[in-house]
Amino acid sequence: MGTRILTVEDDERIRAAVKLALEDEGWTVMESGNGEDAVEQFHRQPADVVLIDLMLPGMDGFELCRSIRRQSDVPIIMVTARNDTHDVVAGLEAGADDYMTKPFVPKELSARIRALLRRAKPPQPGHARLTFGDLELIPDEGKVLVAGDEVHLTKTEFRLLCELAANPGKVLSRESLLDRVWGYGYFGDGRLVDVHVRRLRTKVEADAANPRHVVTVRGLGYRLQA
Amino acid sequence: MSDPAPQQPTWLHRFRSHRVGLRSRILATFTLGVAALAVVLAFTTYGLTRSTLLRQREDTALRQAYSDARGVRALLRSNPTSPKAALDGVSDVGPAEPLLHYRGEWTNTSPKFTSDSLPAGMKRRVVDEQTAAQMLYSDGQPVMAVGIPLPDVGATFFEVVPLDELSRTLGSVRVSLLGAVAITTAAGVLLGAVAARRAVQPLADAAQAAQVIAGGGLGTRLEPGDDPDLQVLAGSFNDMASALQQRVERDARFASDVSHELRSPLTTLAASAEVLNSRRDELPDKAAAAVDLIVADVGRFQSLVEDLLEISRFDAGAVRLNREDLLVAEFVRQAVSVSTLPDAHLEVDPRAEDLVIQADKRRLARVVANLLENARYYGGGEVTVTVEPSQPEGEEIEDVQIAVEDHGPGVPPDERLLIFERFARGGSAGRRGSSEGAGLGLALVDEHVRVHGGRVWVDDRSDGEEGARFIIELPAEHA
Repeated sequence: MGTRILTVEDDERIRAAVKLALEDEGWTVMESGNGEDAVEQFHRQPADVVLIDLMLPGMDGFELCRSIRRQSDVPIIMVTARNDTHDVVAGLEAGADDYMTKPFVPKELSARIRALLRRAKPPQPGHARLTFGDLELIPDEGKVLVAGDEVHLTKTEFRLLCELAANPGKVLSRESLLDRVWGYGYFGDGRLVDVHVRRLRTKVEADAANPRHVVTVRGLGYRLQA
Repeated sequence: MSDPAPQQPTWLHRFRSHRVGLRSRILATFTLGVAALAVVLAFTTYGLTRSTLLRQREDTALRQAYSDARGVRALLRSNPTSPKAALDGVSDVGPAEPLLHYRGEWTNTSPKFTSDSLPAGMKRRVVDEQTAAQMLYSDGQPVMAVGIPLPDVGATFFEVVPLDELSRTLGSVRVSLLGAVAITTAAGVLLGAVAARRAVQPLADAAQAAQVIAGGGLGTRLEPGDDPDLQVLAGSFNDMASALQQRVERDARFASDVSHELRSPLTTLAASAEVLNSRRDELPDKAAAAVDLIVADVGRFQSLVEDLLEISRFDAGAVRLNREDLLVAEFVRQAVSVSTLPDAHLEVDPRAEDLVIQADKRRLARVVANLLENARYYGGGEVTVTVEPSQPEGEEIEDVQIAVEDHGPGVPPDERLLIFERFARGGSAGRRGSSEGAGLGLALVDEHVRVHGGRVWVDDRSDGEEGARFIIELPAEHA
């Protein structure tokens, strides 16, 4: 069973071209032309990575993203038209792990998909449990517990938490997190980190507006504390 | 718009021309109007007052003269040989000075008024048995002379009454009226100023609104207010502004939509070209050559569309920066390393090591990459990148300069502004634009740097050798 990618794109030629390119990487590509159909397909046969174009007829990309998130932690890449609008942030907040702007080259897309697939594996096997107050991490099992209850995180959110946990009490800069979690260098988009921290907070903090664990250190970065 | 009126006198021309402002004209008209009215009123009042007072005085003088004349007649009857005695009999009463012409001789009591004081015409009339009353000037003083014939004693009786009291009264009336004219005119000036300002205010408002619109605030509108006359102005102004706003927005949307629409087919082309490229070796020679061309131009096409889209966004004012605090030295190092010229020689002035800029790193990186690309393509030879403060040693640092120098042919001084214009062509301009773009590369560099509050320009090499030195200056501060 090879890696399955679900592409949701209403432009049929782009869909076809992307399919050709991704199949060259040895992946299986499932296609969908609209949101409702995509939800159904995903339900029938979940994919390993989902690619969503924001401009969809009917149910828009954000809604589709949220809908899939409700049932799964599958990595989602959002395809946007521009990168300087609020689309990027909105897409990330709807649950996407990363984004690409049109027009993109398939080589880039493949690289991102590979990065997302890599994230599925935990970073440092060997640590049994990490505890920070009422927050508990079990990296090997990919589990996170808040006050004893299991919390579902996406692979990216989990990876982010793990990186912060691997450096307890230490401040990690945005650049450093972009590099460790997403594999981006100096020119990575800081918003990826910011929105994911926000998402993480809504899931693991008692009060996301006043975080106790995932703390912002002004001008420097983020830190995980008990 | 031709003026239908024929030759006009110059002062009127100037009054109607725009060199004398509307406010001044309203003020002048107002003041002149009020002043003229006041003067007319003052003159009328004075004239009426004077004639009334004079007539009253005349009546009084006549009555007095008649009474005195009767007295003189009686005295003359009783003592026909002594006219002096007759005069003495009446001269004590009042300020009137009597004169008597009796039996060919003149008698007077006061040396001030003699028969020479009386005009000949008057004397003749009285002699002809007619009463006469006249106002004259005797030694510069106004006096009233009355003449009464006394035929039954063969005499003519005159009285001269000084009018200085009347004169004084009229004098003070004159002064008061002058004062009134002055005050009224002053009030006129004040009211005129207020009226002028009120009248011109809506124009000033419209002017200011127009200024804001010209500066980019296309949503600015005028308040219609209650005045029906001004509502017309506000109405048409607002209509014009709305039309303008729509036009501008439509134009911006057009360019943006077009470029936007191009992105989808470009994605397909790019993806397909890549697939073809990965199978290039399986293709016969001709097909492979064709694939090479396609792959090359798809990349070029993509850059073009990106550039166009970017520039249209600048025009629409829709560019949003993702600003961060960046250590400029580190930023430049990174930007160089991801450019097409990662081996370019980089020199950072020690004073600039701790300088921080507030910038959108992706945009600025594209800017640096663009300049490096240009340097490589058109410059040739070793390319040097320097980072140093704008201000000389000792002064407080406010800006940082990032310079890219090449050993190419340089840019002639008369083209140094031209090359930053859009679609600049001709001379070295066409050669200096982005190699893959339509001549937009440097125009975009300019826009990007400007939106960061900086500026970019080209100069000679710092060491005087042949080549160009492109400099980006940005505001910076110490970390």
